[in-house]
Amino acid sequence: MNNKSVRTQFAKQFSFFMAIPAFVWVFICFYIPLLTIIARSLLTRSPGEIIPHFTPDYYAQLFELKYFHVIWRSLLLAFGTSVSCLLIGYPVAYFLARKARSAKNILLFFLMLPFAVNLLVQAYAWFFVLGKSGLINQALMMLGLISDPLNILNTPVAVYIGMIYCYVPFMIMPLYAVLEKLDQRFVEASFDLGADWFKTMWRVVLPLSMPGIVTGFFLVFIPVFGEFVIPNLLGGNKQMFVGSLISFYFLITRNLAVGSAFTCLSGIIVLTAAVFTYWRLKKLWA
Amino acid sequence: MNVRSFFSAYGLRMWVSAFFLFLYIPIVVLVIFSFNESPTLYQWGGFSTHWYAELFQSAEVWQALRNSLYVASFATFLSVTMSLLLVYFGSNLRRFFPLFYGSLVIPEVVLAVGLLGFFSLFTVMLGFSTLIVGHTLLGLGYAVPIVSSRYDELEKHLTEASLDLGASYVQTFFRIILPLLVPALVAAAILVFVISLDDFMIAFFCAGGTTQTLPLYIFSVVRAGGSPMLNALSTVLLCFGSMLIMLIAALRMRKIFMFGS
Repeated sequence: MNNKSVRTQFAKQFSFFMAIPAFVWVFICFYIPLLTIIARSLLTRSPGEIIPHFTPDYYAQLFELKYFHVIWRSLLLAFGTSVSCLLIGYPVAYFLARKARSAKNILLFFLMLPFAVNLLVQAYAWFFVLGKSGLINQALMMLGLISDPLNILNTPVAVYIGMIYCYVPFMIMPLYAVLEKLDQRFVEASFDLGADWFKTMWRVVLPLSMPGIVTGFFLVFIPVFGEFVIPNLLGGNKQMFVGSLISFYFLITRNLAVGSAFTCLSGIIVLTAAVFTYWRLKKLWA
Repeated sequence: MNVRSFFSAYGLRMWVSAFFLFLYIPIVVLVIFSFNESPTLYQWGGFSTHWYAELFQSAEVWQALRNSLYVASFATFLSVTMSLLLVYFGSNLRRFFPLFYGSLVIPEVVLAVGLLGFFSLFTVMLGFSTLIVGHTLLGLGYAVPIVSSRYDELEKHLTEASLDLGASYVQTFFRIILPLLVPALVAAAILVFVISLDDFMIAFFCAGGTTQTLPLYIFSVVRAGGSPMLNALSTVLLCFGSMLIMLIAALRMRKIFMFGS
Protein backbone atom coordinates (compact mmCIF):
# COMPACT_ATOMS: atom_id res chain seq x y z
CA MET A 1 0.00 0.00 0.00
CA ASN A 2 1.64 3.22 -1.02
CA ASN A 3 1.47 6.54 0.73
CA LYS A 4 -1.22 7.93 -1.49
CA SER A 5 -3.64 5.07 -1.07
CA VAL A 6 -3.23 5.09 2.70
CA ARG A 7 -4.16 8.72 2.69
CA THR A 8 -7.03 8.27 0.30
CA GLN A 9 -8.36 5.59 2.62
CA PHE A 10 -8.07 8.06 5.45
CA ALA A 11 -9.98 10.66 3.58
CA LYS A 12 -12.67 8.12 2.82
CA GLN A 13 -12.87 6.78 6.34
CA PHE A 14 -13.43 10.19 7.74
CA SER A 15 -15.72 12.44 5.91
CA PHE A 16 -14.28 14.05 2.86
CA PHE A 17 -16.60 16.92 3.60
CA MET A 18 -14.36 17.97 6.46
CA ALA A 19 -12.08 19.53 3.86
CA ILE A 20 -14.89 21.68 2.53
CA PRO A 21 -14.90 24.59 5.06
CA ALA A 22 -11.53 25.87 3.90
CA PHE A 23 -12.61 25.81 0.25
CA VAL A 24 -15.90 27.50 1.04
CA TRP A 25 -14.05 30.17 3.02
CA VAL A 26 -11.56 30.93 0.29
CA PHE A 27 -14.26 31.04 -2.37
CA ILE A 28 -16.67 33.21 -0.45
CA CYS A 29 -14.06 35.59 0.92
CA PHE A 30 -11.60 35.75 -1.93
CA TYR A 31 -12.77 34.57 -5.33
CA ILE A 32 -16.33 35.81 -5.14
CA PRO A 33 -15.23 39.28 -3.90
CA LEU A 34 -12.77 39.47 -6.79
CA LEU A 35 -15.55 38.59 -9.20
CA THR A 36 -17.73 41.16 -7.47
CA ILE A 37 -15.14 43.83 -8.20
CA ILE A 38 -15.07 42.86 -11.86
CA ALA A 39 -18.86 42.63 -12.07
CA ARG A 40 -19.35 45.97 -10.36
CA SER A 41 -17.02 47.66 -12.79
CA LEU A 42 -18.88 46.32 -15.82
CA LEU A 43 -22.52 46.15 -14.81
CA THR A 44 -25.08 48.74 -13.94
CA ARG A 45 -28.70 48.72 -13.00
CA SER A 46 -31.01 51.53 -13.90
CA PRO A 47 -33.88 52.22 -11.48
CA GLY A 48 -36.62 49.65 -11.70
CA GLU A 49 -34.47 47.15 -13.52
CA ILE A 50 -33.81 43.80 -11.85
CA ILE A 51 -31.17 42.24 -14.08
CA PRO A 52 -28.10 44.48 -14.38
CA HIS A 53 -26.85 45.23 -17.85
CA PHE A 54 -23.39 45.73 -19.28
CA THR A 55 -21.90 49.20 -19.42
CA PRO A 56 -18.47 50.52 -20.35
CA ASP A 57 -19.27 53.85 -18.64
CA TYR A 58 -17.14 53.36 -15.53
CA TYR A 59 -14.06 52.60 -17.57
CA ALA A 60 -14.84 55.50 -19.88
CA GLN A 61 -14.86 57.81 -16.86
CA LEU A 62 -11.32 56.69 -16.12
CA PHE A 63 -10.12 57.47 -19.60
CA GLU A 64 -8.43 60.64 -18.49
CA LEU A 65 -4.79 61.54 -18.38
CA LYS A 66 -4.74 62.12 -14.62
CA TYR A 67 -5.73 58.51 -13.88
CA PHE A 68 -3.03 57.17 -16.14
CA HIS A 69 -0.60 59.50 -14.39
CA VAL A 70 -1.46 57.81 -11.09
CA ILE A 71 -0.91 54.35 -12.55
CA TRP A 72 2.27 55.43 -14.29
CA ARG A 73 3.63 56.96 -11.08
CA SER A 74 2.90 53.76 -9.15
CA LEU A 75 4.52 51.64 -11.85
CA LEU A 76 7.59 53.85 -11.81
CA LEU A 77 7.76 53.72 -8.02
CA ALA A 78 7.33 49.93 -7.99
CA PHE A 79 9.96 49.47 -10.67
CA GLY A 80 12.40 51.91 -9.08
CA THR A 81 11.96 50.33 -5.65
CA SER A 82 12.46 46.80 -6.99
CA VAL A 83 15.60 47.74 -8.89
CA SER A 84 17.01 49.72 -5.96
CA CYS A 85 16.25 46.89 -3.54
CA LEU A 86 18.02 44.51 -5.89
CA LEU A 87 21.09 46.73 -6.19
CA ILE A 88 21.24 47.42 -2.46
CA GLY A 89 20.27 43.93 -1.36
CA TYR A 90 22.31 41.73 -3.68
CA PRO A 91 25.71 42.45 -2.08
CA VAL A 92 24.14 42.07 1.36
CA ALA A 93 22.58 38.72 0.45
CA TYR A 94 25.87 37.64 -1.11
CA PHE A 95 27.76 38.56 2.02
CA LEU A 96 25.26 36.84 4.32
CA ALA A 97 25.15 33.69 2.27
CA ARG A 98 28.79 33.25 1.35
CA LYS A 99 31.12 35.42 3.41
CA ALA A 100 29.68 35.86 6.89
CA ARG A 101 30.55 32.67 8.70
CA SER A 102 30.11 32.99 12.43
CA ALA A 103 28.26 36.30 12.23
CA LYS A 104 25.62 34.87 9.89
CA ASN A 105 22.89 34.07 12.40
CA ILE A 106 23.21 37.32 14.27
CA LEU A 107 23.17 39.32 11.02
CA LEU A 108 20.10 37.42 9.84
CA PHE A 109 18.45 38.24 13.15
CA PHE A 110 19.21 41.93 12.69
CA LEU A 111 17.94 41.78 9.14
CA MET A 112 14.63 40.29 10.23
CA LEU A 113 14.09 42.51 13.27
CA PRO A 114 12.79 45.67 11.56
CA PHE A 115 10.67 43.37 9.46
CA ALA A 116 9.03 41.99 12.61
CA VAL A 117 7.63 45.34 13.63
CA ASN A 118 4.68 46.87 11.92
CA LEU A 119 5.08 48.68 8.61
CA LEU A 120 3.46 51.71 10.25
CA VAL A 121 6.15 51.80 12.91
CA GLN A 122 8.86 51.51 10.27
CA ALA A 123 7.37 54.44 8.40
CA TYR A 124 7.03 56.43 11.62
CA ALA A 125 10.71 55.85 12.46
CA TRP A 126 11.63 57.80 9.32
CA PHE A 127 9.88 60.88 10.68
CA PHE A 128 12.83 61.24 13.03
CA VAL A 129 15.35 61.03 10.23
CA LEU A 130 13.67 62.96 7.43
CA GLY A 131 11.55 65.43 9.39
CA LYS A 132 12.08 69.18 9.57
CA SER A 133 14.10 68.85 12.76
CA GLY A 134 15.08 65.29 11.96
CA LEU A 135 18.52 63.77 11.89
CA ILE A 136 19.44 64.70 8.32
CA ASN A 137 18.41 68.32 8.63
CA GLN A 138 20.17 68.74 11.97
CA ALA A 139 23.34 67.16 10.66
CA LEU A 140 23.34 69.32 7.56
CA MET A 141 22.64 72.45 9.57
CA MET A 142 25.37 71.63 12.05
CA LEU A 143 27.79 71.25 9.17
CA GLY A 144 26.65 74.61 7.89
CA LEU A 145 25.64 73.22 4.51
CA ILE A 146 22.13 74.58 4.73
CA SER A 147 20.59 77.39 6.74
CA ASP A 148 16.93 76.40 6.49
CA PRO A 149 15.71 72.86 7.07
CA LEU A 150 15.07 70.90 3.90
CA ASN A 151 11.61 69.60 3.24
CA ILE A 152 12.14 65.89 2.73
CA LEU A 153 9.11 64.49 4.47
CA ASN A 154 5.93 64.60 2.39
CA THR A 155 7.85 64.43 -0.87
CA PRO A 156 8.23 61.56 -3.37
CA VAL A 157 11.81 61.14 -2.12
CA ALA A 158 10.54 60.21 1.35
CA VAL A 159 8.08 57.74 -0.18
CA TYR A 160 10.85 56.16 -2.22
CA ILE A 161 13.21 55.84 0.76
CA GLY A 162 10.44 54.40 2.91
CA MET A 163 9.52 51.86 0.25
CA ILE A 164 13.11 50.66 -0.08
CA TYR A 165 13.45 50.46 3.68
CA CYS A 166 10.30 48.40 4.15
CA TYR A 167 10.67 46.11 1.18
CA VAL A 168 14.40 45.36 1.01
CA PRO A 169 14.09 42.25 3.26
CA PHE A 170 11.63 40.77 0.74
CA MET A 171 14.38 41.04 -1.85
CA ILE A 172 17.21 39.79 0.34
CA MET A 173 15.54 36.63 1.63
CA PRO A 174 15.02 34.88 -1.74
CA LEU A 175 18.46 36.05 -2.93
CA TYR A 176 20.00 34.67 0.23
CA ALA A 177 18.23 31.33 -0.21
CA VAL A 178 19.56 30.97 -3.76
CA LEU A 179 23.09 32.21 -3.07
CA GLU A 180 23.49 29.96 -0.07
CA LYS A 181 22.81 26.89 -2.18
CA LEU A 182 25.08 27.99 -5.02
CA ASP A 183 27.88 25.49 -5.49
CA GLN A 184 31.25 27.02 -4.66
CA ARG A 185 32.88 24.72 -7.23
CA PHE A 186 31.31 26.72 -10.07
CA VAL A 187 33.01 29.84 -8.78
CA GLU A 188 36.32 28.07 -8.35
CA ALA A 189 36.07 26.53 -11.79
CA SER A 190 35.43 29.95 -13.26
CA PHE A 191 38.57 31.36 -11.61
CA ASP A 192 40.57 28.30 -12.59
CA LEU A 193 39.56 28.73 -16.19
CA GLY A 194 40.91 32.26 -16.14
CA ALA A 195 37.88 34.46 -15.60
CA ASP A 196 38.49 37.52 -13.44
CA TRP A 197 36.32 38.49 -10.50
CA PHE A 198 33.94 40.65 -12.52
CA LYS A 199 33.45 38.04 -15.20
CA THR A 200 32.80 35.32 -12.63
CA MET A 201 30.17 37.45 -10.99
CA TRP A 202 28.51 38.46 -14.24
CA ARG A 203 28.67 35.16 -16.10
CA VAL A 204 28.46 32.60 -13.29
CA VAL A 205 27.05 33.86 -9.99
CA LEU A 206 24.45 36.27 -11.35
CA PRO A 207 22.85 33.87 -13.87
CA LEU A 208 22.75 31.14 -11.22
CA SER A 209 20.93 33.46 -8.84
CA MET A 210 18.29 34.42 -11.43
CA PRO A 211 15.45 32.48 -9.71
CA GLY A 212 16.08 34.47 -6.53
CA ILE A 213 16.20 37.74 -8.43
CA VAL A 214 12.90 37.01 -10.16
CA THR A 215 11.18 35.97 -6.91
CA GLY A 216 12.52 38.98 -5.05
CA PHE A 217 11.56 41.32 -7.87
CA PHE A 218 7.93 40.27 -7.77
CA LEU A 219 7.81 40.12 -3.97
CA VAL A 220 8.70 43.81 -4.06
CA PHE A 221 7.06 44.97 -7.28
CA ILE A 222 3.47 43.82 -6.67
CA PRO A 223 2.98 45.07 -3.08
CA VAL A 224 4.75 48.37 -3.74
CA PHE A 225 2.45 49.00 -6.70
CA GLY A 226 -0.61 48.79 -4.48
CA GLU A 227 0.96 50.24 -1.34
CA PHE A 228 -1.22 52.60 0.62
CA VAL A 229 0.44 53.17 3.98
CA ILE A 230 3.81 54.61 2.95
CA PRO A 231 2.57 57.13 0.37
CA ASN A 232 -0.01 58.17 2.90
CA LEU A 233 2.31 58.61 5.88
CA LEU A 234 5.64 59.59 4.34
CA GLY A 235 4.24 61.26 1.24
CA GLY A 236 1.63 63.16 3.21
CA ASN A 237 -0.91 61.97 0.62
CA LYS A 238 0.29 64.84 -1.59
CA GLN A 239 0.62 62.60 -4.60
CA MET A 240 -1.90 59.94 -5.47
CA PHE A 241 -0.70 56.42 -6.01
CA VAL A 242 -2.82 53.46 -7.03
CA GLY A 243 -3.40 52.31 -3.45
CA SER A 244 -4.42 55.75 -2.26
CA LEU A 245 -6.75 56.36 -5.20
CA ILE A 246 -8.49 53.00 -4.69
CA SER A 247 -9.03 53.74 -1.02
CA PHE A 248 -10.22 57.24 -1.93
CA TYR A 249 -12.96 55.78 -4.13
CA PHE A 250 -13.98 53.09 -1.69
CA LEU A 251 -13.80 54.97 1.60
CA ILE A 252 -14.23 58.66 0.87
CA THR A 253 -16.35 59.17 -2.22
CA ARG A 254 -17.94 55.71 -1.78
CA ASN A 255 -18.10 55.41 -5.53
CA LEU A 256 -17.69 51.65 -5.58
CA ALA A 257 -18.36 51.23 -9.30
CA VAL A 258 -15.65 53.60 -10.53
CA GLY A 259 -13.37 52.37 -7.76
CA SER A 260 -13.86 48.80 -8.96
CA ALA A 261 -13.17 49.84 -12.52
CA PHE A 262 -9.97 51.56 -11.44
CA THR A 263 -8.94 48.50 -9.40
CA CYS A 264 -9.45 46.23 -12.42
CA LEU A 265 -7.68 48.63 -14.75
CA SER A 266 -4.62 48.96 -12.55
CA GLY A 267 -4.67 45.21 -11.88
CA ILE A 268 -4.56 44.50 -15.59
CA ILE A 269 -1.75 47.00 -16.09
CA VAL A 270 0.38 45.65 -13.23
CA LEU A 271 -0.10 42.09 -14.47
CA THR A 272 0.94 43.09 -17.97
CA ALA A 273 3.96 44.92 -16.60
CA ALA A 274 4.91 41.93 -14.46
CA VAL A 275 4.59 39.45 -17.33
CA PHE A 276 6.53 41.74 -19.64
CA THR A 277 9.32 42.17 -17.06
CA TYR A 278 9.46 38.43 -16.47
CA TRP A 279 9.72 37.81 -20.20
CA ARG A 280 12.49 40.42 -20.57
CA LEU A 281 14.43 39.02 -17.63
CA LYS A 282 14.19 35.52 -19.03
CA LYS A 283 15.36 36.67 -22.43
CA LEU A 284 18.27 38.56 -20.93
CA TRP A 285 19.81 35.44 -19.45
CA ALA A 286 18.55 32.78 -21.83
CA MET B 1 45.56 45.25 -5.69
CA ASN B 2 43.05 43.93 -8.17
CA VAL B 3 39.34 44.53 -8.08
CA ARG B 4 38.46 41.20 -6.63
CA SER B 5 40.61 41.24 -3.56
CA PHE B 6 39.78 44.87 -2.89
CA PHE B 7 36.09 44.15 -3.13
CA SER B 8 36.12 41.05 -0.99
CA ALA B 9 38.43 42.64 1.56
CA TYR B 10 36.80 46.04 2.08
CA GLY B 11 34.07 46.89 -0.38
CA LEU B 12 31.60 44.20 0.53
CA ARG B 13 32.06 44.71 4.26
CA MET B 14 31.62 48.45 3.91
CA TRP B 15 28.49 47.96 1.83
CA VAL B 16 26.99 45.59 4.37
CA SER B 17 27.87 47.90 7.27
CA ALA B 18 26.31 50.85 5.47
CA PHE B 19 23.23 48.76 4.82
CA PHE B 20 22.80 47.85 8.46
CA LEU B 21 23.30 51.49 9.42
CA PHE B 22 20.53 52.41 6.98
CA LEU B 23 18.37 49.72 8.54
CA TYR B 24 19.01 50.72 12.14
CA ILE B 25 19.48 54.49 12.28
CA PRO B 26 15.72 55.22 12.13
CA ILE B 27 14.96 52.54 14.70
CA VAL B 28 17.68 53.65 17.11
CA VAL B 29 16.51 57.25 16.93
CA LEU B 30 12.93 56.12 17.47
CA VAL B 31 13.93 54.16 20.57
CA ILE B 32 16.08 57.01 21.94
CA PHE B 33 13.23 59.47 21.62
CA SER B 34 10.91 57.16 23.53
CA PHE B 35 12.98 58.08 26.61
CA ASN B 36 12.58 61.77 25.94
CA GLU B 37 11.45 63.90 28.87
CA SER B 38 10.07 66.70 26.75
CA PRO B 39 6.64 66.37 25.11
CA THR B 40 7.86 68.03 21.89
CA LEU B 41 8.58 65.20 19.57
CA TYR B 42 11.99 66.04 18.14
CA GLN B 43 13.66 68.05 20.90
CA TRP B 44 15.73 66.16 23.43
CA GLY B 45 14.81 67.26 26.94
CA GLY B 46 16.53 64.78 29.21
CA PHE B 47 16.02 61.13 30.08
CA SER B 48 12.75 59.89 31.47
CA THR B 49 10.54 56.84 31.31
CA HIS B 50 7.29 58.59 31.94
CA TRP B 51 6.00 57.92 28.42
CA TYR B 52 6.11 54.25 29.25
CA ALA B 53 4.12 54.85 32.40
CA GLU B 54 1.62 56.81 30.35
CA LEU B 55 1.51 54.07 27.74
CA PHE B 56 0.62 51.41 30.28
CA GLN B 57 -2.11 53.61 31.70
CA SER B 58 -3.63 54.54 28.36
CA ALA B 59 -7.08 53.01 28.17
CA GLU B 60 -7.21 53.55 24.42
CA VAL B 61 -4.06 51.52 23.79
CA TRP B 62 -5.19 48.67 26.02
CA GLN B 63 -8.58 48.58 24.33
CA ALA B 64 -6.97 48.51 20.88
CA LEU B 65 -4.59 45.77 22.01
CA ARG B 66 -7.47 43.76 23.44
CA ASN B 67 -9.39 44.06 20.16
CA SER B 68 -6.32 43.03 18.17
CA LEU B 69 -5.68 39.99 20.35
CA TYR B 70 -9.32 39.00 20.19
CA VAL B 71 -9.40 39.14 16.39
CA ALA B 72 -6.01 37.45 16.06
CA SER B 73 -6.98 34.55 18.35
CA PHE B 74 -10.16 33.84 16.42
CA ALA B 75 -8.48 34.16 13.04
CA THR B 76 -5.62 31.90 14.12
CA PHE B 77 -7.91 29.26 15.53
CA LEU B 78 -10.15 29.25 12.46
CA SER B 79 -7.42 29.24 9.84
CA VAL B 80 -5.21 26.64 11.53
CA THR B 81 -8.14 24.31 12.23
CA MET B 82 -9.45 24.66 8.71
CA SER B 83 -6.06 24.02 7.18
CA LEU B 84 -5.54 20.94 9.34
CA LEU B 85 -8.90 19.56 8.26
CA LEU B 86 -8.19 20.49 4.67
CA VAL B 87 -4.76 18.87 4.57
CA TYR B 88 -5.87 15.74 6.32
CA PHE B 89 -9.21 15.06 4.74
CA GLY B 90 -8.62 16.68 1.42
CA SER B 91 -5.57 14.72 0.34
CA ASN B 92 -7.23 13.84 -2.93
CA LEU B 93 -7.99 17.51 -3.54
CA ARG B 94 -4.29 18.33 -3.40
CA ARG B 95 -4.18 19.80 -6.88
CA PHE B 96 -6.60 22.50 -5.80
CA PHE B 97 -4.43 23.71 -2.91
CA PRO B 98 -2.83 26.49 -5.02
CA LEU B 99 -6.26 28.16 -4.88
CA PHE B 100 -5.33 29.17 -1.35
CA TYR B 101 -2.24 31.07 -2.39
CA GLY B 102 -4.14 33.57 -4.53
CA SER B 103 -4.59 35.91 -1.58
CA LEU B 104 -0.81 36.13 -1.20
CA VAL B 105 0.01 37.31 -4.71
CA ILE B 106 -2.41 40.18 -5.18
CA PRO B 107 -1.82 43.59 -3.58
CA GLU B 108 -3.43 43.72 -0.16
CA VAL B 109 -5.48 46.75 -1.07
CA VAL B 110 -7.33 44.71 -3.71
CA LEU B 111 -8.08 42.03 -1.14
CA ALA B 112 -9.37 44.67 1.26
CA VAL B 113 -11.60 46.49 -1.22
CA GLY B 114 -12.87 43.16 -2.52
CA LEU B 115 -13.97 42.21 0.98
CA LEU B 116 -15.43 45.65 1.63
CA GLY B 117 -17.37 45.59 -1.63
CA PHE B 118 -18.62 42.10 -0.88
CA PHE B 119 -19.74 42.99 2.64
CA SER B 120 -21.47 46.11 1.42
CA LEU B 121 -23.29 44.05 -1.20
CA PHE B 122 -25.04 42.17 1.60
CA THR B 123 -25.04 45.17 3.96
CA VAL B 124 -23.04 43.27 6.56
CA MET B 125 -22.26 45.38 9.62
CA LEU B 126 -18.54 46.07 9.68
CA GLY B 127 -16.82 45.17 12.93
CA PHE B 128 -15.22 42.24 14.68
CA SER B 129 -16.86 39.59 12.54
CA THR B 130 -15.76 41.10 9.24
CA LEU B 131 -12.23 41.57 10.59
CA ILE B 132 -12.05 37.95 11.69
CA VAL B 133 -13.36 36.81 8.30
CA GLY B 134 -10.68 38.82 6.49
CA HIS B 135 -7.83 37.79 8.73
CA THR B 136 -8.82 34.13 8.55
CA LEU B 137 -8.61 34.37 4.79
CA LEU B 138 -5.18 35.96 5.04
CA GLY B 139 -4.12 33.26 7.51
CA LEU B 140 -5.26 30.39 5.31
CA GLY B 141 -2.82 31.48 2.64
CA TYR B 142 0.06 31.01 5.11
CA ALA B 143 -1.22 28.07 7.17
CA VAL B 144 -2.16 25.74 4.30
CA PRO B 145 1.34 25.55 2.74
CA ILE B 146 3.05 25.11 6.13
CA VAL B 147 0.75 22.33 7.33
CA SER B 148 0.53 20.55 3.99
CA SER B 149 4.30 20.51 3.43
CA ARG B 150 4.81 19.01 6.90
CA TYR B 151 2.12 16.42 6.20
CA ASP B 152 3.90 15.46 2.98
CA GLU B 153 7.16 15.03 4.86
CA LEU B 154 5.69 12.57 7.36
CA GLU B 155 6.97 9.03 6.99
CA LYS B 156 4.28 6.88 5.46
CA HIS B 157 5.66 3.86 7.30
CA LEU B 158 4.40 5.30 10.56
CA THR B 159 0.84 5.35 9.30
CA GLU B 160 1.16 1.90 7.77
CA ALA B 161 2.75 0.45 10.90
CA SER B 162 0.02 1.94 13.02
CA LEU B 163 -2.71 0.44 10.83
CA ASP B 164 -0.88 -2.89 10.60
CA LEU B 165 -0.64 -3.10 14.32
CA GLY B 166 -4.36 -2.81 14.57
CA ALA B 167 -5.02 0.84 15.34
CA SER B 168 -8.15 2.29 13.82
CA TYR B 169 -8.06 5.31 11.54
CA VAL B 170 -9.30 7.49 14.34
CA GLN B 171 -6.61 6.23 16.71
CA THR B 172 -3.95 6.69 14.02
CA PHE B 173 -5.04 10.27 13.50
CA PHE B 174 -5.00 11.21 17.16
CA ARG B 175 -2.00 9.14 18.26
CA ILE B 176 0.31 9.34 15.23
CA ILE B 177 -0.55 12.07 12.74
CA LEU B 178 -1.68 14.84 15.05
CA PRO B 179 1.35 14.72 17.42
CA LEU B 180 3.70 14.73 14.45
CA LEU B 181 1.93 17.72 12.93
CA VAL B 182 2.15 19.77 16.13
CA PRO B 183 5.38 21.62 15.18
CA ALA B 184 3.83 22.69 11.88
CA LEU B 185 0.59 23.69 13.57
CA VAL B 186 2.46 25.77 16.14
CA ALA B 187 4.55 27.45 13.44
CA ALA B 188 1.45 28.20 11.38
CA ALA B 189 -0.39 29.51 14.43
CA ILE B 190 2.44 31.87 15.38
CA LEU B 191 2.71 33.18 11.84
CA VAL B 192 -1.03 33.72 11.40
CA PHE B 193 -1.31 35.35 14.81
CA VAL B 194 1.46 37.81 14.02
CA ILE B 195 0.10 38.57 10.57
CA SER B 196 -3.31 39.26 12.02
CA LEU B 197 -1.85 41.49 14.75
CA ASP B 198 0.18 43.40 12.17
CA ASP B 199 -2.45 43.74 9.51
CA PHE B 200 -3.45 47.27 8.69
CA MET B 201 -5.06 47.23 5.24
CA ILE B 202 -7.90 44.80 5.93
CA ALA B 203 -8.57 46.46 9.28
CA PHE B 204 -8.60 49.90 7.64
CA PHE B 205 -11.28 48.84 5.17
CA CYS B 206 -13.25 46.21 7.06
CA ALA B 207 -13.23 47.30 10.72
CA GLY B 208 -15.91 49.93 10.38
CA GLY B 209 -15.93 53.01 12.57
CA THR B 210 -16.20 51.44 15.98
CA THR B 211 -13.63 48.66 16.19
CA GLN B 212 -10.11 49.92 16.70
CA THR B 213 -7.18 47.55 16.45
CA LEU B 214 -3.63 48.37 17.43
CA PRO B 215 -2.44 49.11 13.85
CA LEU B 216 -5.43 51.38 13.33
CA TYR B 217 -4.57 53.21 16.54
CA ILE B 218 -0.93 53.58 15.44
CA PHE B 219 -2.04 54.86 12.04
CA SER B 220 -4.28 57.49 13.55
CA VAL B 221 -1.50 58.72 15.84
CA VAL B 222 1.08 58.83 13.05
CA ARG B 223 -1.38 60.69 10.81
CA ALA B 224 -1.73 63.27 13.57
CA GLY B 225 2.04 63.76 13.57
CA GLY B 226 3.11 61.16 16.13
CA SER B 227 3.61 61.34 19.87
CA PRO B 228 6.32 60.29 22.34
CA MET B 229 3.94 57.68 23.66
CA LEU B 230 3.90 56.11 20.22
CA ASN B 231 7.69 55.90 20.41
CA ALA B 232 7.33 54.02 23.67
CA LEU B 233 4.73 51.73 22.14
CA SER B 234 6.99 51.11 19.13
CA THR B 235 9.88 50.22 21.43
CA VAL B 236 7.72 47.72 23.29
CA LEU B 237 6.56 46.21 20.00
CA LEU B 238 10.19 46.02 18.87
CA CYS B 239 11.08 44.02 21.98
CA PHE B 240 8.21 41.63 21.35
CA GLY B 241 9.27 41.33 17.72
CA SER B 242 12.81 40.37 18.66
CA MET B 243 11.58 37.80 21.16
CA LEU B 244 9.34 36.37 18.50
CA ILE B 245 12.16 35.98 15.99
CA MET B 246 14.27 34.25 18.61
CA LEU B 247 11.36 31.96 19.44
CA ILE B 248 10.93 31.03 15.78
CA ALA B 249 14.67 30.46 15.41
CA ALA B 250 14.65 28.26 18.51
CA LEU B 251 11.67 26.27 17.23
CA ARG B 252 13.33 25.73 13.89
CA MET B 253 16.52 24.59 15.54
CA ARG B 254 14.58 22.18 17.67
CA LYS B 255 12.86 20.90 14.59
CA ILE B 256 16.17 20.31 12.84
CA PHE B 257 17.47 18.70 15.98
CA MET B 258 14.52 16.36 16.27
CA PHE B 259 13.73 15.47 12.70
CA GLY B 260 16.92 16.20 10.88
CA SER B 261 19.18 13.53 9.41
